[in-house]
Amino acid sequence: MSFCWKSTVAAAAFSTAIVLTPAAATTLTIAQNFDPQTLWPNGTTASDNLNAGSAIVESLFWQDPRTGKVEPLLATGYEMETPTTFILRLREDVGFTNGEPMDADAVVHSIAIFIDPEKTPAYARVAEPFAGAEKIDALTVRVTLKYPYPPLELALSQIHVVPPKLWTEMGLEAYGQAPVGTGPYKLTSWARDDKLVMERNPDYWGEAPVGIDEIVWRPVPDDAARFAGLVTGEFQIAKDLSVSVAPALEGQADVTLVPVPSYRIYQIGLSSLPKDQGPLQDKRVRQAVNYAIDKQAIIESLFFGKAEPLHGQVLRQPQLGFNPSVADYPHDPEKAKALLAEAGYPDGFSIPFKCPSGRYAQDREVCEAVAGMLSEAGIKAEMVALEPGEFLRQLRTMELAPMYFVGLAPQDDPSFQASQFLSDWRYSPIANPQMDALINAGAMEMDVEKRRKIYQDLMALMHDEAPIAFLYGGIDLYGTTARLKNFLPRGDGRMYFYGVTLDE
Amino acid sequence: MLQYILRRLILTVPVLFGILVVSFALTHLSGDPTDLILPPDATDAAREAFRKLHGLDQPIWVQFTQFALHAMQGDFGNSLRFNEPALKLVMDRMAATTELALAAMALTLLIGVPSGVWAAYRRNTLADITVRGTTLVGQAMPSFYLGILSIIVFAVWLRWLPTGGRGTWWHLVLPATTLSFQLIALIARVTRSCMLDVLGQDYIRTARAKGLGETTVVWLHALRNAFIPVLTVIGLQVGFLMGGVVVTETVFSWPGVGRLAIQAIYARDFPVVQAIVFLFALIFVVVNLIVDLLYAVLDPRISYR
Repeated sequence: MSFCWKSTVAAAAFSTAIVLTPAAATTLTIAQNFDPQTLWPNGTTASDNLNAGSAIVESLFWQDPRTGKVEPLLATGYEMETPTTFILRLREDVGFTNGEPMDADAVVHSIAIFIDPEKTPAYARVAEPFAGAEKIDALTVRVTLKYPYPPLELALSQIHVVPPKLWTEMGLEAYGQAPVGTGPYKLTSWARDDKLVMERNPDYWGEAPVGIDEIVWRPVPDDAARFAGLVTGEFQIAKDLSVSVAPALEGQADVTLVPVPSYRIYQIGLSSLPKDQGPLQDKRVRQAVNYAIDKQAIIESLFFGKAEPLHGQVLRQPQLGFNPSVADYPHDPEKAKALLAEAGYPDGFSIPFKCPSGRYAQDREVCEAVAGMLSEAGIKAEMVALEPGEFLRQLRTMELAPMYFVGLAPQDDPSFQASQFLSDWRYSPIANPQMDALINAGAMEMDVEKRRKIYQDLMALMHDEAPIAFLYGGIDLYGTTARLKNFLPRGDGRMYFYGVTLDE
Repeated sequence: MLQYILRRLILTVPVLFGILVVSFALTHLSGDPTDLILPPDATDAAREAFRKLHGLDQPIWVQFTQFALHAMQGDFGNSLRFNEPALKLVMDRMAATTELALAAMALTLLIGVPSGVWAAYRRNTLADITVRGTTLVGQAMPSFYLGILSIIVFAVWLRWLPTGGRGTWWHLVLPATTLSFQLIALIARVTRSCMLDVLGQDYIRTARAKGLGETTVVWLHALRNAFIPVLTVIGLQVGFLMGGVVVTETVFSWPGVGRLAIQAIYARDFPVVQAIVFLFALIFVVVNLIVDLLYAVLDPRISYR
């Protein structure tokens, strides 16, 4: 190489080095899949929206991922007056960044929005039991429910408080684009689909995250690009990494891999509804499907061990109602064959098996593996792969039946998980009066211990009835810089920055 | 000439109407967007409210009439996801896409044409074989693969360039190269074969015989005559370029229309998909009209009356 060329290349390398100097050490750049559509947290349930929005607009309570407990945030607590009314006490001396006070008026206004299905259609199900709220004094609010509601705390953690005057002036849409809240950060600029910048709120009422003066949210839809940006230090947090990159990151000193057990439960629906006549009407056949599938092999080979066994039930281990005496169906093809023979299918049978392609991680591969395993037991699963949109449509109209792969991520209360198996729920693969009775009892029971027992009984009954084949629980993979301390996202993809530190 | 342009512009109207029909039919054939936009546990009342709000509860022909009437006035309705005018969402991202597409086109012309000329001039030498070999690889390599490969090499290993996003000129290098790679290969091959034709013509021999320098012969006389088919291919490839931005913008987190298109398609955000399809079709038609007009500039024998 001539001297001229060498100096040109050196100059180019030098200038790129200047350009690529990382952002200030106090900036936290986060790569998520999507740019938020709105920063008003009650405008959507999508985690990419909520993560950014709730750094600005805070909720009354929040569910701490470290303990799973619902803790006060803008409220200091609540007391039940009657089974259907409660008093909400608010934190003193909290203001919105536009100068409006965070008080009973703001909370009454925010609850009114939360329970209006026209404004918050995404929260209609959670908000359904709320009747209304009234101001008692500047920091006290009485809330009325239509009926006793066990997941009340979870609902309270989803009510985000907005400044009433500004909200009324701006309207729902405009507020979502330029929100003002009480949170540790406030919006600086937002270049759609490119980057969203927030700066520290100097008047924040609580303990702000340490060492983070600025948060930059970048939408990076490609898995490989999120991984690459994390490795080069462009991003300090990369959400939803592919499990296949985990081995490459595990050895890196400056990157921390944060695996989070997801709320999403993967299962194969086995419809025994009266409209779906066929072999799955027989409980023994549904059990046979469970025995035929080698769950551990799927977890090990398709997820590199980064998925959780389900223990033969839909509730996760930390949840109220998890039944420790119920275990996964072991992989036992012989037992499966015997059960099939007993049910009158000694030579097996053929059955349509619908599967999304591109909706969940490795969905198609899982289905192919399952179909292969079922064929060993004599069940010929005729797999049909569906584009995600079509899959969701068929899920809602129950056209996926009789057999389909699905990953459902209801909210973190056993009633939401259980109610998906109510006879009249639109996705339910089963109509069983005994199960209905337990599900309805759990949804109304306010006593925690009685409630636990109800759901444990339900888990045992469901295990035996096998309305689904219990597959695995997902794991969400996050990569962060090793400088980030005490960061733990939640199983629903939510990230909070309370108590988080970014070292220099 | 003016008459010709006017005639062409009038002919554009039925084409664009056809595009409206096709984009409406295709998006609506794909099903109801309500399930994709509302969460799975949304109540039936919330679903109905959503469908009513966006007119999805109307008969399909009413929806089309409304859509066509508004679209002709540049109103494609509000995005189902963003609840903002669809055309505004698209136009907001147009600058980023135009920047990327122009950079890719510039690279295509600056690299593709000279390498084609060079390969033709040095036919069957090592230079020609190298250009042909490289262009074969270039045309065969899928752009998403090339994009990820270039991120790994230039961003992760060498740390010369950022992995994605938009900002400085450096951010433009990898996406523009990725987007133009196949086009460069195609244009180089087309230029080469057209140049081979022209270089064998009598008038080239005449030019040489009257003592013109090789540079003038090749770059002025030969290339000008070889350029018309190349220009046609470039015009047609504007369509390829607009399809290519969908992949490139996704891989490089480029905040343009292509990425918006992908998200809108996945979410069945009909108004946005329709606005993008319409706008891209319009650009394609206009660019090809310009290409047709350029023929007359390149070759005085062509005239439009």
